[in-house]
Amino acid sequence: MLTQFLINGFINGAIYAMVALGFAIVYNTTRIFHIAFAILYMIAPYLVYSFYSQAGYPLVLSSVAAIVCIVLISVLIELIIYRPLIKKKSSLNVIMISSIGLMIVGINVIALIYGNDTKILSSSISNTISLGNIIITYKQFTQLVISTLAISGFMVFLKYSKFGIKTRAMRDNVTLCNVFALNVPKFRLSLYALSGAFAAIGGILISLDVGMDPYIGMPMFLNAVVALIIGGIGKFHAPLFGGIFIGLLQSLVVWKFSANWQDLMTFSILIIFLIFRPQGLFGEKQRLV
Amino acid sequence: MVGLSNLLSIGQAAFYGIGAYVTALALKTLGLSFFPSVILAIVITLLFAIIVGYISLKMEGDYFILATLGIQIIVFTILNNWIAVTMGPYGIPGIPSPKLFGYIEIKGIESFLMVSTAFSAITIFFFHRLIKSPFGRDLKGLRDDSISMIALGKNITKLKIQSFVISSSFAAISGFIYASYISYIDPTSYNLDESIFIISAVLIGGTGNIKGPIIGAIFVVALPELLRFVGLPDSIAANMRMIIYGLTLVIIMRYRSQGLAGVYKF
Repeated sequence: MLTQFLINGFINGAIYAMVALGFAIVYNTTRIFHIAFAILYMIAPYLVYSFYSQAGYPLVLSSVAAIVCIVLISVLIELIIYRPLIKKKSSLNVIMISSIGLMIVGINVIALIYGNDTKILSSSISNTISLGNIIITYKQFTQLVISTLAISGFMVFLKYSKFGIKTRAMRDNVTLCNVFALNVPKFRLSLYALSGAFAAIGGILISLDVGMDPYIGMPMFLNAVVALIIGGIGKFHAPLFGGIFIGLLQSLVVWKFSANWQDLMTFSILIIFLIFRPQGLFGEKQRLV
Repeated sequence: MVGLSNLLSIGQAAFYGIGAYVTALALKTLGLSFFPSVILAIVITLLFAIIVGYISLKMEGDYFILATLGIQIIVFTILNNWIAVTMGPYGIPGIPSPKLFGYIEIKGIESFLMVSTAFSAITIFFFHRLIKSPFGRDLKGLRDDSISMIALGKNITKLKIQSFVISSSFAAISGFIYASYISYIDPTSYNLDESIFIISAVLIGGTGNIKGPIIGAIFVVALPELLRFVGLPDSIAANMRMIIYGLTLVIIMRYRSQGLAGVYKF
């Protein structure tokens, strides 16, 4: 029984890790506390719902279309909301508050269009794979495979491609990037696009299994942020360990107590980390501002 | 508090909630009268705020916001799941009206209007005095340039904790008024959305003076009444209201980051 819980926790953790990575792509490089990321995660499954359940296109095609839309929305957020604020030299707090405003708008627009109730993508009970006494559903298997692929793909790109080198340069020193004639505003757009894609994939994968309502964004976002902090801000491999750590921990809490106390555990761990090891498991001391 | 010391706390609803729950338990289970239960609500919230303050105020910027956010969620989870004391998601119904000096029962809309007006007046007066006092000047200094404050030999962590604790005790008072007036409380009134709502009220109004938050509060309270005039159906109205809050927040941050009536720009 424990192994089953650990496997479930690990699969959830993989998705947390992917979403956390999406947030880290923006946060590590631009330092913007991008709360509107939560609505990207939440809107993606609704788009799939429109394309797949309402319009009747195949699931894979609808998912790809939804991911493309979310990427566009993510880029538009940067273009319309964040860029003018940065031009005005507003502080990061102002940008974060605008992001909160945007999140409130996003949640309620979706609630207006689709209603507040829970929607499901597929109601069929999915087939399972049994390995000994461990049971994995096909949906979980898909979640695990896609998130692993996305994460490892990104890691390879980060290490070897030009894009990855630029990303790491942005993380380390933005001024120096400007000096070396990297078009920072333009490059930021591609970072937002990538982070939007991660959010969208995470949202779709989770809602395949448990459905969606307009309020799913925030809890997932918080888990992702906690994963990022536990792993360590500034390192791109850190949210992976953070995410899987949280996934395992939450499933242990479910196993030992009940699902009600998951959040308490997650955020107690967050506060313990913030007090005793604010740089996270793998982080170095944070650069100021 | 946001305006005076530049501390953006996302945990305000937690203190509001603790104030309300302590009130409910004091009035219902312990059967206390008006003043003892107000004082109990304030004292317990204060103690909690001191602990939270010590933990979270050592951090800066995003970390502080995250810590208060974490505490907010922990408090909500406890209120929602500690069924033995808080009755969990069902809430506590039938909170008796508090009695003033043992015989005057505060009940009905008029007397609560008086009580809340009195408390608001006291609060405004208190903050007015506070801003003028040396302590208020210290807080402004903390907001504008914390490094010079350290150079001047001020203990900035202590200042931050003090302002945090003061502001949470006012949250406790509003919790008290709410719980005893509505006579029913449940945890959903004290979740993260409520905290975000409080913050947007403050930021829309503006910070750094007394006028700002008051105007912000008037705005967020008057808006639903205005929308009722427009005659939107109930199902849309709530979402519409939130959309307007959100948009206002975005627009204000873009064009007037000190808020409608505030002085302090973030």
